[in-house]
Amino acid sequence: MRAYSESSEEALRTRDLLKDWAGEGFLTPEQYQRMNQESVCDLRVTNIILRVVLFLFSLLIVGAAVLLVGVTLTPTDRLSRFLLLVFAGLSYAAAEFAVSQARLYRYGIEEALAACSVGFLAAGVWEGDHYGSGSLVAGAVASLWIWRRFGLPYAFPAAMLFVAWLPNHWTPYPSAQHLIVAAFYAAGLAGVAAVRPRHRFTYLNDTYSFAEAFLWLGIYLAINLQLSSMSLLGGLRISAEFSKPFYWTTWVLIWCLPPAILARGLRLKDRWVIAAGAITAILTLVTNKPYLGWPRHTWDPMMLGAILVAVALVLSRWLAAGPSGIRHGFTARRLSSKDRQWMSAGAVVLGVVSPDAITLNPKPDSTDFHFGGGDSGGGGASSDF
Amino acid sequence: MTISTRLAQWKEQGVISPEQHALLLGLSRGEPFSVFLELSILLYAGIVVFVAGLGWTVSTWSKQLGDVVVLTVLSAMLAACLWYCFSRAPAWSRAQVASPSLAFDYVLYLGSLTWSVELAYLENRFELLSGQWEPYLLTTAALFFFLAYRFDNRFVLSLALSALAGWFGLTISHWPSHQDAEYRLYAILYSLIVGGAGAILERRGLKPHFLGAYLNIAANVLFWAVLSGVFDRQASGLWFLVLLGACAASLAWGIKRRQFSFVAYAAVYGYVGVSSLLLRGTNSDVGVFSYFVVTGIAMVVLLVLIARRFGRES
Repeated sequence: MRAYSESSEEALRTRDLLKDWAGEGFLTPEQYQRMNQESVCDLRVTNIILRVVLFLFSLLIVGAAVLLVGVTLTPTDRLSRFLLLVFAGLSYAAAEFAVSQARLYRYGIEEALAACSVGFLAAGVWEGDHYGSGSLVAGAVASLWIWRRFGLPYAFPAAMLFVAWLPNHWTPYPSAQHLIVAAFYAAGLAGVAAVRPRHRFTYLNDTYSFAEAFLWLGIYLAINLQLSSMSLLGGLRISAEFSKPFYWTTWVLIWCLPPAILARGLRLKDRWVIAAGAITAILTLVTNKPYLGWPRHTWDPMMLGAILVAVALVLSRWLAAGPSGIRHGFTARRLSSKDRQWMSAGAVVLGVVSPDAITLNPKPDSTDFHFGGGDSGGGGASSDF
Repeated sequence: MTISTRLAQWKEQGVISPEQHALLLGLSRGEPFSVFLELSILLYAGIVVFVAGLGWTVSTWSKQLGDVVVLTVLSAMLAACLWYCFSRAPAWSRAQVASPSLAFDYVLYLGSLTWSVELAYLENRFELLSGQWEPYLLTTAALFFFLAYRFDNRFVLSLALSALAGWFGLTISHWPSHQDAEYRLYAILYSLIVGGAGAILERRGLKPHFLGAYLNIAANVLFWAVLSGVFDRQASGLWFLVLLGACAASLAWGIKRRQFSFVAYAAVYGYVGVSSLLLRGTNSDVGVFSYFVVTGIAMVVLLVLIARRFGRES
């Protein structure tokens, strides 16, 4: 089912790990060179920056080609849908060709072609289905196929997005819609959890880890009514849409889920699931007041920030105090050169995006001033307090 | 063949020692499992959220709290952060220096942000410089540069570069009649100064690992400024030549140093600039879409060739 052979993907994973270990000094340059040479595979990869650029240009080409056909033929609606389906097939065939013949792996080009095939398929099916759910089902199934076939991690959340819209076509009741979405994601989670143990130490572990993390996040977002209804500022207003037992059950669940996710992530030592647990925990803290209908205070972010910092400091100190800085198999020490690269890139990106936010605005006339657009002069921590 | 099988083979062949084998096999299985990145992100997010709340609280409750309380708290925080950093910092070195602890970099970052909040509060409340923000921005930039170099902190360096950009921005805002043209020139001046300073400091061996931050910011500001000139119909010819020169320089630098972000800048900014010029006044949809198909393919082929020739390939 996979477009790439197991040996090729394992070889790529090995090369990544070797590079990481060499970067941290666990291997000498001579060892790295020899081991790297013995892990050669036939797949063609590129770095993340060129991958993104190639992805964008490939999208541009396919999009322009479709529009060119559209303006040349000026087809009827029916013909347009047919042409979109044809383009979906062509894009998918081109993606398969790029993988099988050019041996592209996460190269941007085949990814854009695969993404276009999903988009064209969903668009082509859209008007053909009276209820409109056919295109969502097609989009979800095609995304899952792309995820399985090419191993593109973002195809899985794309499938989840299609699924999230499905219940709108089936029932008008918001409670039922939330439950159906959560049930779909829970079923997906059960499936992934059942398959994962077989691939714990293989190249597929990351793929399943990413999918599981997104499924946990999806379940959480489906049951957190403040987030999924996008009425953070509305307080109890949204509770009118839901029955009281349903509303308060979801409130209990948003407090129960984060510890459960974190516990599973820590037990599996799964970075993505731990991240999902941390994100849901923070979201619970952020949405608790609107859930309860309590007023927000200006110092709430300070409290949240202080909690995050305290948790990080206590954890790092606790881990560092263990034998060799390790407790229960966890350490606060850096063991991967990738961590350093991420930090460096993050600092640069921050510098690139913040110059506007940093600009100090002229002083307002009233003495009741407010910080905005980088009034924090060089801080740029927030653009509008 | 899984990584564990390969490691066993390399151990048998004597490529790695038994100790290395045990370490690497453990690492490949997450034993021990490092949460360094997670804790760092938690610290960074915590400080950013904290300072956002601090600014919000100060701006909302300044009257009720009173200037003395606000300034005392902010000054105490700033002093505590600086004291922590100066008392625990390792000796200064021109080369890269590791942080003494996980929290160290973030304490410095908190101090820098607190300084910004306090400065904004001071000027807004007391009008010490009658609304002239340039000295504040320049002082802030100078302080942040000093702190970034003293404590080897890239986050604070990016704040320094941003504060310097703000200083240029505010200077521009004094010429509203020619704001676009002035802005463009100041942006180019800024990028040249930042890029040049980064290169000089790297040549002198002064924190050479900071060069990437300097050049990436300088390149983006420069390309935005030049592109805005190309979009300006009155003087696009000259700016187009400047854009070509900038693209060539970025491409050459990226290939020479194997920094593919600069190849990407040249490709994307160059393509946008050239396309805007060539498609100007074109009314035919067929012509426009044909252009994107043909040139898009050409760009993909070119980038693949560059990646093949210079990139890492398996």
